[in-house]
This record gives sequence, structure tokens and C-alpha cells, in this order.
Amino acid sequence: MAREFELTRNITVGQYLPTGSFVHRLDPRIKLLACGILILAIAFCNSYGGNLIVLAFSCLLFRLSRIPLRYGLSGVKPAIPFIVILAVLQLLFYGDIASGGRVYLEYGLIVITSDSLRLVIVSALRFIEIIFVSSVLTLSTSTTQLTHGMESLLKPLGYLKFPVHEFSLIMTIALRFVPTFAMEMEKMIKAQASRGAEFGTGSWWQIFRRTKEMLPIIVPLFRVAMERAEDLILAMEARCYTPGGTRSRFRTYQTTFRDGLTLLFILCFSLLLWMYPFPY
Amino acid sequence: MGTVIEVEDLRYTYMENTPLAHQALAGVQLSVEEGECVAIIGHTGSGKSTLIQHFNGLLRPQQGRVRVDGQDLSDPGLDLKGLRRKVGLVFQNPEDQLFEKWVGDDVAFGPLKMGLPLKEVRDRVRWAMEMAGLSFEAMKDRPTYALSGGQKRKVALAGVLALRPKVLVLDEPTAGLDPRSRKELLGRIEGFNRREKMTVIFVSHNMEEVACLADRIFVMAAGQIVAQGTPREIFGNREVLLQHRIGAPETVEILYRIQGLGYPVDVGAYELDSAAAEIVSILRPQGVKSHGPGI
Ligand SMILES: Nc1ncnc2c1ncn2[C@@H]1O[C@H](COP(=O)(O)OP(=O)(O)OP(=O)(O)O)[C@@H](O)[C@H]1O
Ligand SMILES: [Mg+2]
Repeated sequence: MAREFELTRNITVGQYLPTGSFVHRLDPRIKLLACGILILAIAFCNSYGGNLIVLAFSCLLFRLSRIPLRYGLSGVKPAIPFIVILAVLQLLFYGDIASGGRVYLEYGLIVITSDSLRLVIVSALRFIEIIFVSSVLTLSTSTTQLTHGMESLLKPLGYLKFPVHEFSLIMTIALRFVPTFAMEMEKMIKAQASRGAEFGTGSWWQIFRRTKEMLPIIVPLFRVAMERAEDLILAMEARCYTPGGTRSRFRTYQTTFRDGLTLLFILCFSLLLWMYPFPY
Repeated sequence: MGTVIEVEDLRYTYMENTPLAHQALAGVQLSVEEGECVAIIGHTGSGKSTLIQHFNGLLRPQQGRVRVDGQDLSDPGLDLKGLRRKVGLVFQNPEDQLFEKWVGDDVAFGPLKMGLPLKEVRDRVRWAMEMAGLSFEAMKDRPTYALSGGQKRKVALAGVLALRPKVLVLDEPTAGLDPRSRKELLGRIEGFNRREKMTVIFVSHNMEEVACLADRIFVMAAGQIVAQGTPREIFGNREVLLQHRIGAPETVEILYRIQGLGYPVDVGAYELDSAAAEIVSILRPQGVKSHGPGI
């Protein structure tokens, strides 16, 4: 109730928790690569044992980056409905496909086997692990670092005439403005509520009414966005930004021995997950 | 006359229970009487905007109590709509919030939401626009996007006035206005208080306007009220000014300087006229007799 208007706290995109840990100091390119590899390994890991190890490992990652685990859990919260729906569907309809193991229940089309049960549990675990791992990545890496890392990694695509730099610039700007607009929107909602506006009074199917209620926010927000964009253009041009020009960077990333070691470790860990025949 | 707003030990933390938690209010005590004009001053980030958002229920107390016109804001069954009509809040830089195409429609938004009959809405819009200093006939059909910043601010003010609030809360109403519009707006705010008998609470960084408008001043620092009193009590007290690093109106600064040179002036005489009278009094021969060199 007291949080009626506190939008900013729900926005985790672009939220960066600088704790200065080992994980924070890694080269963003290495972090991105390692995260990608790890997620791939998780996607292919379908044993209980492997998943428990990854779960423990991702908790360890939170520890290492000195980010409270609560943060990861708050990322999982909005995904719970999906996880549940997915689990129910898999439980009910995957019995034919994952038909190995013992049959627990057979009722018409619905077959539940130990394999389909495993699928359900493992998928849910994998979902959570992936959210954890990517949360650690985004919480420990500033958006600037992320986009720079992304740009570096995508550089080979430049030979195929893919506009890597423009793409990463767009990403940087978009991510940078998410919290700004959340703030702006919060202010707008409060201002309109102060002069009698109400939001979300209709039921969810009264889409027209609900949309109309949002107009006092959407219209000014749009204008503010446009004005911000114009200001940004001016500021960039005032600093002689030219699209397509060669630019140097204020921050350059140096891959160190530590980064290499981390990548090697993640690689081995992922291979192990993938190859090792876990008994359960 | 009773107490309109009563705040007891109010605490508020933004993003509570996250590592980014920030305590913006740390035990605020204050009460505002009906018909008063009070100013809230304090450095940037001291929690002024956070505090005033509690007055119309935009923020609910996390700890402590806020009572507005006898209603407890912690009460879950509170009539928020009624409260927001009673307490009109004008935000900092309110010109961003206009969204209708025509000025008249934008001002009418609040009364229409109240479900008033059209005739009454029209009367209210007329009244509110005139109160805010916009001619109803000339301005009601002007497009909102083609107004100057100062005019937009008046439209936004009119939009809140159209709710006919008992208490008007303004967050830095004159920030960014030119001296003339600033003066005009101050005159109007004074009018709301003196003629329309509204209780006015305003936040300001400008000590001149605080001095000339406010009956009482609350000084905020680090989420608490650290000093309160009439302008005379606040500006006439050098210790308070220095301790909380509050700027004083120029009149007061001048009087302090003159006092520092050894002349007997009343430094609490912050109003332009009385400050002038003080200066004149030491220029008179009998003032010169006992103090300092003759002029
Ligand atoms: N939406 C928010 N989320 C998190 N922290 C906030 C938010 N709004 C304000 N704060 C913090 O709370 C503190 C008090 O803010 P507040 O806006 O009340 O200050 P203020 O006294 O109005 O300052 P100013 O004179 O600059 O308007 C500040 O330190 C600010 O950073
Ligand atoms: Mg403020």
C-alpha cells in the first residue's frame, strides 16, 4: 500500500550494485563469454546432481560478488508464474515423450513418469539457475561495461557490414534511460494523482477505459522523452560526435591472467557438467 | 482554528530492504495550523519533497504518524480521493504534467474527475484560471504546447486550484521563473493564503520569498526538522543560521554586517521596510552620538 508509486524499485534492468568484488573487476568481455558458456552448459544439463551443483555454484557466485542472494531471488519472483505454468504443462503432457522410468500415474492422456517428473524439476531448476547467473552478470557489471563488452565481442560481425558500433550505442542509450524514465513516470503518476487522476480502476478487460486512464501519463511522458532525445542529440553534437567516425575509448579493458583463469575455469566446469555422467 | 497537518516521528526509507535503501526522513515532527502560511527550507536532499508527498497520501508513513484534518494516513480505509482534493499538491516543475490539447480542458481535468456537473466545472475552471493569473476568456482555448514556461506553470497551478483545496502545498513554486513572474506568483500565493484563507505550505530555496511570505519556517536537514520558528526567530538568530548553514535574506545579511561594525541594529528586522527603517535609525544624529564615527 505504501509502495503505490515506488516504481523504481521494481526495475532491475540496468541496476548495478557496485561492491568492488573480484567478480566486478573482471573484464566484461570475459564475463559475458563465461556467462554465455555457463548458460549453454546449464541448458544441456538434465541430471539432478548436475543441477544441484550448478545451483550451489550460482549461490557461490553471489557470495563471490558480495551481492545479497535476495537480489537474485527478487529476479526469480516475477518468473514464478511462468515456471509454474511450464511445470504443470510438462507434468501433464510430457509423459508420452519422456516415457522412461517408472510410471507413477496414468489417466487418459495424462501420464506421469519418473522421467517426466525429472524433466519438470530439472527445467524449473535450470530456469532459476539461468536467472541467477544472468543476475550476477548484470548486477556486477555496469551497463556501460556490458555494452562495451558486447561491442567488442560482436566486432567480427563488422566485417559483414553489421553496424556494431551503432547497435551498441543504441543499447547503451536505451539501458541508460530505463531508470530515468521510471523516475519520470513515477513523478508524472504522482503529479496526476495529485489532481484527481486514478489509475487501474477498471477491471482488466476494460482495456479502453484503462488505457484512457493512462493518457495523462503517457502523453507528457512522450513529450519528455522527445525533449530528452533532443537534448541528448545536442549534447552529443556539441561534443563533436560523428556517426561512423573512429573513436577511442576513455576506458580500455585489459584482459589479465586472472580473467583468463576465470574463463578457463568456467570452461572446464561447463565441460564437466556436460560430459560427466551424474548418477542421478 | 485547529491543526490541519500533524506529523509525529515520521520516518521514510526509499527502496526499503534493498542495499540501495536510503533514509530520506528520520523522525520528522511538525504541525501546521489552519490558515497559516509555512515555509519548509533546507539543503538539497534534506527530504523536503519526500515530506510534503505525505501530506496528500502519495506516500504513506512507514513509521510514525501523519494526520491531515483529523484523518490518520496510516488508516488502510482512508479516502484518498477526498484527501487529495482537500490537499492540493503542486510539484516541482509542474509544467511537464500538462497533457490536454487546450488549456481549459487541462484545468478541467480534476473537476471532471470529481464528477461535477458541467456548469460547476466551468465555474471552477474560470475561478482557478483567474486565481492563477490567466484570463479565462483569452487563455482557455490556447493550445497547451504553445505556452511559455511561466504560463504552463500557471496552468498547472490552476489545475490544482480547480480542486478547491483547503491546503495548498507547493514544491519550489518559483524555481526557474524570471524576477517579474516570480514576484507575481508570490503575490498570488499570498492572496490564496490571506484572501481565500487557504493553508499554504511551500518549499523554497529563496530566503527573500520565505521571509516575505511565511508566518513560520521549518528548517530541514538530513531528514529531520532541525529548527522552526517565525522568520524573525530564525533569521534573527545567528547561531541557528550558522549551525545549519541557512542563507539569510539579503536584508538580514546587511543588518548583520552593520551590527558587526558596531552599530546597534535589530537584526531580526528582515522585512525590506523595517530593515530600511533600522538603517535610517542609525543614520540619524542621535544614533551616531554614541556609536562609531559620525557620517
Ligand atoms: N524515488 C527515490 N528513490 C530513491 N531515493 C530517493 C527518491 N527520491 C528521493 N530520494 C532520496 O531521498 C533524499 C531526499 O530527497 P528529497 O527529494 O525529499 O529532497 P529535497 O529536500 O526535496 O531536495 P531538493 O531541494 O533537491 O528538491 C535524497 O537523498 C534523495 O536522493
Ligand atoms: Mg525537492
